[in-house]
Amino acid sequence: MAATERPHAPTAKARRRRLFPYFRHAVLIAWSLIVLFPIFWMVSTSFKGSGEWVAWPPHWLPHQPTLYNYQQILAVGPLAAAPSREATEQVYNIWKAVGDSVAIATFSSLVALLMGTFLAYSISRFSVGGKNFRYLVLTIRMVPPIVIAIPILMYYAVLMPYTTDLLLGVRVSLFDTYVGLGLLYVATTLPFVIWMMLSFIDEVPYTLEHAARIMGAGRIYTLRRVVLPLVASGMMVTFLFIFILNWSEFLLSLTLTQPQVSTLPVLLNKFQSAVEGRLYGPQAAIGTVITLPVVVLGILIQKHLITGFSFGMLRK
Amino acid sequence: MRAMLAEAETTARRPGGLAAWLAQERVFRLVPFVMVEGMFLLLLALPFALTIYISLLRWRANRPFEQAYFQGFANYARVIGEPEFWSSIGRTFYFAGAAVTLELVLGFFLAMLVHQALRGRRLYITIFLVPMMVVPVVVGYNFSMIYVDSGPLNQILSPFLTPFGLESRIRWLSHPLAAQWAIILADVWQWTSLTFLIFLSGFAALPAELINAARVMGASRWQIFRRVQLPLLKPAIIIAVVIRTMEALKLFDQAVLLTFGGPGDSTQTIAFFLWRQVWQFNKYGFGAAASVLLLLLFSTLIYGGIYLLVRERALLQQPEGRG
Repeated sequence: MAATERPHAPTAKARRRRLFPYFRHAVLIAWSLIVLFPIFWMVSTSFKGSGEWVAWPPHWLPHQPTLYNYQQILAVGPLAAAPSREATEQVYNIWKAVGDSVAIATFSSLVALLMGTFLAYSISRFSVGGKNFRYLVLTIRMVPPIVIAIPILMYYAVLMPYTTDLLLGVRVSLFDTYVGLGLLYVATTLPFVIWMMLSFIDEVPYTLEHAARIMGAGRIYTLRRVVLPLVASGMMVTFLFIFILNWSEFLLSLTLTQPQVSTLPVLLNKFQSAVEGRLYGPQAAIGTVITLPVVVLGILIQKHLITGFSFGMLRK
Repeated sequence: MRAMLAEAETTARRPGGLAAWLAQERVFRLVPFVMVEGMFLLLLALPFALTIYISLLRWRANRPFEQAYFQGFANYARVIGEPEFWSSIGRTFYFAGAAVTLELVLGFFLAMLVHQALRGRRLYITIFLVPMMVVPVVVGYNFSMIYVDSGPLNQILSPFLTPFGLESRIRWLSHPLAAQWAIILADVWQWTSLTFLIFLSGFAALPAELINAARVMGASRWQIFRRVQLPLLKPAIIIAVVIRTMEALKLFDQAVLLTFGGPGDSTQTIAFFLWRQVWQFNKYGFGAAASVLLLLLFSTLIYGGIYLLVRERALLQQPEGRG
């Protein structure tokens, strides 16, 4: 930099300037360690036997690494006897919760993505809903979920059975069903889809569509063959983003499902509260299993997250 | 089968068919709007109307709905007269205020440092964004393990605390003040990644010409920062404040996982308080009245936030030459 070009002895200011990059890296490395430590601790604990979970001084790496925690949560059949007497032989099967989580998160993210993309298109091109609609839609995301959960509980558990009983003669309830939770996930992630897709669709030049229309393409054809291919990568990013949101959602799934439907966060919470947090090993294994795919997905879309999160306001 | 398909095709192509109807501009532009609005209406507005009705009833969930009877505003009076309702709202704002302030400051400086860094930029960004992707419940669980009295955090801290005669083991989850900060720090750990991301895209969007021009004209580093960069970053700051505040006020997961509202009620947030009232004590009327009040309270906040965003957008759309 400028400091190195000066021929005379470095002044205090120049010295400070030369040292600054080291200071910067020191701060950044310190924060990296803070960020990575809890994750490291979880992965490390997931390989520890029960005797090492809360040893003092704590064991930073398992002294006797074991896969037993993973066997406990992933095994389908009964397990061989536990290697130590504190560990329970119980098998905590997570496959049901994995299936529920994957199914609900995938389907509701897909539905929200489709609905939101089309609405974003009509907001962008026809300003449907007025000038400020794109901001108003965010209000739904800002309402605390508990304020949504209480009405929905009464709606699903009381009003719906009551009205269907009157009209059809059967009591239908969406409480504790895939559809009930999935619909809510669609409604709560739609604002994000609309906002993110708006920032991608706004970028597509209108002249392209115009050209297609003049050459005789219909509106739907134009949308499908001209606009959607151009925003396909944006749709992919948006899908992954709301998938992560739905995958980690806790409050709604805790309050509106169980015992029939249960997602992974709720399962993990059951562990935590049922046994006063003493089963650290299997919990750590579940945490690792839940977290890894999402972190990998996140790193894949990382570059796009930076543009997606500008919410169309930071550019230009 | 083929005949049927052909038949379907001709109907679709015939003027006046479904596709033609859909392709009319009037219809085409409104279909997605009506679909989404209809969903919001059915899934959010209608249940909320029901909640207002239920908030006027005297009803406990363990009795059939038919036995409920109208009792006016008694539920509202009960909510307003409940000190825990107000204290848990106050606590929620305290947590959100502390956490969001720390997140903004940390996120801003980390983004600034990463933006300047030439080496290892990508690696830092990848690492710093990881907490955002960790499921909040897993974060709660992770920190509950780190905060254990004989856990790693106390081990790391003990060399710094013992020389000053302080307690070498902080009881992170069983001392009221420590438990509150345990929750705040877990939130900061996770969501500094989001403010970092917002500020990073803000820094990336700064026009290099302006900064170079200022440098050529002899502005000092501080002047460039204060007079050029900071004003241009204002939209990013507002987005970060609005988004993070709104999310932080929802605080629930960590209160359940780390402390379960305790010790006492020192970490009971409003979401946690209402959850217990409705799902554990079955006070439906109370919960309904509380959620109506809470929505009223929040809607002023929400519209304040939206107003800030809209105003920033209006500023941005003006021709350049601002500031």
